[in-house]
Amino acid sequence: MFAEIVTPELFASAVRLATPIALAAVGASICERSGVTNIAMEGLMLVSAFAGVAVTLLVGNVWVGVFAAIVASVVFASLHAWSSINLRSDQIISATAVNILALGITGFLMETIFGHPGTTDPVKTIPPMYSVPADAGPVWTWIGTVFFSYTPIVYLGMFLAVFLTWALYRTRWGLRLRALGEHPRAADTVGVNVLRGRWYAVLISGAMSGLAGANLTLEQVGSFTENMTNGRGFIALAANIFGRWTPGGAYLASLLFGFADALQLKLQLFSDTINIPSQFFLMLPYVLTVVVLAGVVGKAVAPAAIGKPYKEKG
Amino acid sequence: MAAEPRAENDATIKTSGTRPILELHHITKRFPGVLANDDVSVQVAAGEVLALLGENGAGKSTLMNVAYGLLAADSGEIVVEGEVVQIRMPRDAIALRIGMVHQHFMLVEPLTVTENIVLGMEPSGFLGKIDRAAAREKVVEIAKRYGLKVDPDARVGDLSVGMQQRVEILKALYRDARILILDEPTAVLTPQEVDELFQIVRGLVREGLAVVIITHKLDEVMAFSDRIAVMRGGALVGETTPAECSEQSLARMMVGRDVVLRVEKSPVHAGDVVLSVRGLTVLDDRKLEALKGVSLDVRAGEIVGIAGVDGNGQGELIEAIVGLRRPASGTVSMRGKDITHASPDDTIASGVSHVPADRHRRGLVLDFDLVENLALGDHRRPPIGNHGILDRAAMHAMALERIVDYDVRTPNEYVAAANLSGGNQQKLVLARELGRDPDFLIAAQPTRGLDVGAIEFVHRRILAERDSGKGVLLVSMELDEIQSLSDRILVMYEGKVVAEFEGGTVDAEELGIYMTGGSTPSQASLKGGGTDA
Amino acid sequence: MPEAKIGTPAEELDAERRFALEQQRVKRAITIATPFISVVIAMLVGSLVILISGHSPAEAYSAMIGGAFGGWRQIGETLLRATPLIFTGLAVSYGFRAGLFNIGAEGQLFLGGLAAAFVGLQVGGLPPLVSLPIIIFAAFLAGAAWAFIPALMKAKIGAHEVITTMMFSYIGKYLVSYIINGPLRAEGNIPQTTELPIASQLPRISDLLPFVGQNRAHIGIVLGIIAALIVWWVLKYTVMGYEARAVGFNPAAAETAGISVASTTIKSLCISGGLAGLAGAVEVMGVHYRLFDQFSSGFGFTGIAVALLAKNNPFGVILAAILFGSLSAGAGTMQLEAGVSQKVITIIQGTIIFLVGAEMIVTWAVARVRGRKGV
Repeated sequence: MFAEIVTPELFASAVRLATPIALAAVGASICERSGVTNIAMEGLMLVSAFAGVAVTLLVGNVWVGVFAAIVASVVFASLHAWSSINLRSDQIISATAVNILALGITGFLMETIFGHPGTTDPVKTIPPMYSVPADAGPVWTWIGTVFFSYTPIVYLGMFLAVFLTWALYRTRWGLRLRALGEHPRAADTVGVNVLRGRWYAVLISGAMSGLAGANLTLEQVGSFTENMTNGRGFIALAANIFGRWTPGGAYLASLLFGFADALQLKLQLFSDTINIPSQFFLMLPYVLTVVVLAGVVGKAVAPAAIGKPYKEKG
Repeated sequence: MAAEPRAENDATIKTSGTRPILELHHITKRFPGVLANDDVSVQVAAGEVLALLGENGAGKSTLMNVAYGLLAADSGEIVVEGEVVQIRMPRDAIALRIGMVHQHFMLVEPLTVTENIVLGMEPSGFLGKIDRAAAREKVVEIAKRYGLKVDPDARVGDLSVGMQQRVEILKALYRDARILILDEPTAVLTPQEVDELFQIVRGLVREGLAVVIITHKLDEVMAFSDRIAVMRGGALVGETTPAECSEQSLARMMVGRDVVLRVEKSPVHAGDVVLSVRGLTVLDDRKLEALKGVSLDVRAGEIVGIAGVDGNGQGELIEAIVGLRRPASGTVSMRGKDITHASPDDTIASGVSHVPADRHRRGLVLDFDLVENLALGDHRRPPIGNHGILDRAAMHAMALERIVDYDVRTPNEYVAAANLSGGNQQKLVLARELGRDPDFLIAAQPTRGLDVGAIEFVHRRILAERDSGKGVLLVSMELDEIQSLSDRILVMYEGKVVAEFEGGTVDAEELGIYMTGGSTPSQASLKGGGTDA
Repeated sequence: MPEAKIGTPAEELDAERRFALEQQRVKRAITIATPFISVVIAMLVGSLVILISGHSPAEAYSAMIGGAFGGWRQIGETLLRATPLIFTGLAVSYGFRAGLFNIGAEGQLFLGGLAAAFVGLQVGGLPPLVSLPIIIFAAFLAGAAWAFIPALMKAKIGAHEVITTMMFSYIGKYLVSYIINGPLRAEGNIPQTTELPIASQLPRISDLLPFVGQNRAHIGIVLGIIAALIVWWVLKYTVMGYEARAVGFNPAAAETAGISVASTTIKSLCISGGLAGLAGAVEVMGVHYRLFDQFSSGFGFTGIAVALLAKNNPFGVILAAILFGSLSAGAGTMQLEAGVSQKVITIIQGTIIFLVGAEMIVTWAVARVRGRKGV
């Protein structure tokens, strides 16, 4: 059974399943480093997943769909930004509002556009950039499947994790961003625009969540189902914490969740043999999130100013 | 340009001959309920040190925050080198080469010295990549030029307060400041560090900078300034020079009436030991030994003052005594009863009251009304708490009694504590902690941020506790306060009691030497672990 | 008192007192005004959405109001839907009072429902006055238990309850799904439990007061009002409630005053979970008489909106729950008669949360109104 479970496909599926979480988590690390918590990613992924499918069906071009997904998510992220940065509302409440609005608007549009609740019509998903030939040798099957079999947004996610890590620690933008999340007043007194810096960070997080939603529907599932994100936004937040608020760390932590998800899917196929009800497999990613948080939270230090609204002038 | 005649009052107008580099004209700034700056005009010239003197709340910091673009004035204008300028945000001030060192340092602790200094003006290249070598080089060069030694690669959070202040000054110099504003720069320094700071300031002035020092300390003003502007209640009440005034006359200007600079104190009648600490070792949040085997006793009817630079274990000592922090070893006992591992609640029950250093963070629940605030800590015990049920009537009666006894100025007992002034909030804390009639009181920074009237009130109340036979442990950064109230003074340095003196037998200079880890042959009575006298 | 003369002269002092009083009044005005203004704006946003989707807001809203208050049957439906919302609203607001955001009330509700279904089947032989309290107590315990691990993690290591309670919410749903598919599955094609015996069902109001005609409202609404009274009393008149509020406002000051922040956190989140568990119980005992996958239509999440709109006031929770109950009851009629998707009420909910959260909008409005009056 071991050989049937541990296949190259298991690892490739782990990376695929990790991708929406990872994209959102990398965005979260940027957002939280600027001092704004973002539990709105659940909703952002939801609106972008829907927008991606709806626009693709409307226009007939999946890349326009991807673009629409990003735009939709950024628009909703700006609600969170406006409320939590300019209006100085509680960041968790403002994000909760965005989550519920996303649920309502996707459901409403679903019924208005498609005439029924539940699931949209299907779209043709973006194909992987390479598929391993059936007659490839075992070595190439492993390497090809694990490293080269993905769709474009998966690779984009990897690139962004590396690029944003570099940017956070090596660029002017990154230094200022880190200062914003630790001591915004200090940044303000040396002429760094706190509100603008935080806005950009939230919008970046919005764009990343948009990519996550696009990946979910346009590269993986091929249709939109109400509330299909199923807590991925929250898991992404946990991954960001586990990754200690760094883009690279958040990405790697997401791989862990992706692997758990891939494993439970695989194990479900064998549920008759091992005789464990499927619900317990489905619980696995959520249980893992709790376990990971229990193990890591006390040791990881959050940005000092996280969650605190900043007031520019008295 | 000579100074123009002023209409404000009888103050003498002087400049140091050169034309002013920074002029503030008729600045008015109103906060909800407070007129913080009332038509204030001051100026400073290159090569001079202007002291902006006034007690807490007089509007000095507000005025300088306006000059630095952190606050927008309601009216008035700012002139830099003869030109009217608009300073809407710090960036504008920086561009006009104004630098400011804030009372609470504006440093990002996890970042390095270099990163903190260049933040906002980073030398960078393609894609905004920071040229770290260039940044470091520039920092080293400036530090060298002005004689400000500091490690450019150190993490700022690991530096001492004095060092952090240098980083702040370097931040301004890196931005080519020619006007430097220092807001209460000596509040956190030892007397020796204060001397060093003023050496640095003198150096800067020689290089042609204009320096504004915001302070409420009369002796410093007399010693280091070229010119003095005095503020009271938001208005400028006079300008003078050290040569033309005395500490007494300055104090009168600052407070608006004659003030007693010393508190009157009856002779000490110390009784039995109330609180006894033996070999106490405590770890801080980073698991480092913040307190290293400290022993001390406080007797009934005496005030024991603890002098020391902030962060030398005083906070951990207090937390360990009141049960907020578990000691690694050693004992704490109250009247012979061991309370080493007692919870904060049990500690209160054993007769310990605690006026915390930060009244907003630890002293009050700002959103609670006065009734609920005045019950904190007493709420579990009769008459208020009976088997888990609150007796609201008893709570109310107790609150009214405490409000009257401690003269808390409030419209009624149902306003939120947040709506009271700082002085009244501190009275609220005192009313609760002293109203409980404790055997032993810890007063940490009991007068921080208060005006002279409130300070007098707090001092009198603490002395009254002592005179009625309570033991008092006073922890303060203000050496004046320590010296005028304490019957015995302990000096803490790096988690140890390094010296002990009878009250009135030691001067600030000597205390300062011990506070920085030095020792002198003239020491009065150094006791290894600081056991009872 | 001689001290009364120290410091500030009398005329400034009066200004100081006046200012404190004024601050207090403004704050109270804002607290009271925010919910009303938020609801009005949210309804306007809702009508905009209805308009864009090509329908008439007037028609939609009148259908909605008719569906919610048009007669005893409709009023009964509104109360029926308000009932679980009172409990989840109280749950979320009790958490907020202690500084905790129990976003996972939905999961605790599921566990409460599970406990009610399980215990309800066991105690059917007892007289209702015995069996009903037992079931309700069991549901409270189950909800509290489901909040316990997140509470412990928050108290001991500071793991954010938003993530942990949310995760437990999913875990709870799958647990219920397993149980109704496995151990407690009734005969038949649908995964659900057996119907509760009469002794374990909450009586309908129409059974007790026949003049209200046929409607589905049950005495759970009365239990909800009693629960609100108890919560109000606990917060104001018990040491535990006082300590919970102290911790919620300022944990450091609470700790200094001898309050154990960890134990208060655990107690408060468990009480919050228990209240959410009761929501599950009233749904199982009063509406469906059995447990199945979809027995809650997101009452846990709507509870967040209820708590925020009520500004965490227990009596406000009752009003807010009735408002959201009426939206939910009227939404079906609106969809049938005006053809507008009932999801619009979720949009209205989200908007209300957004507006109540962004109190500054209302603060600004109140300040303007007061400014105009020259106050």
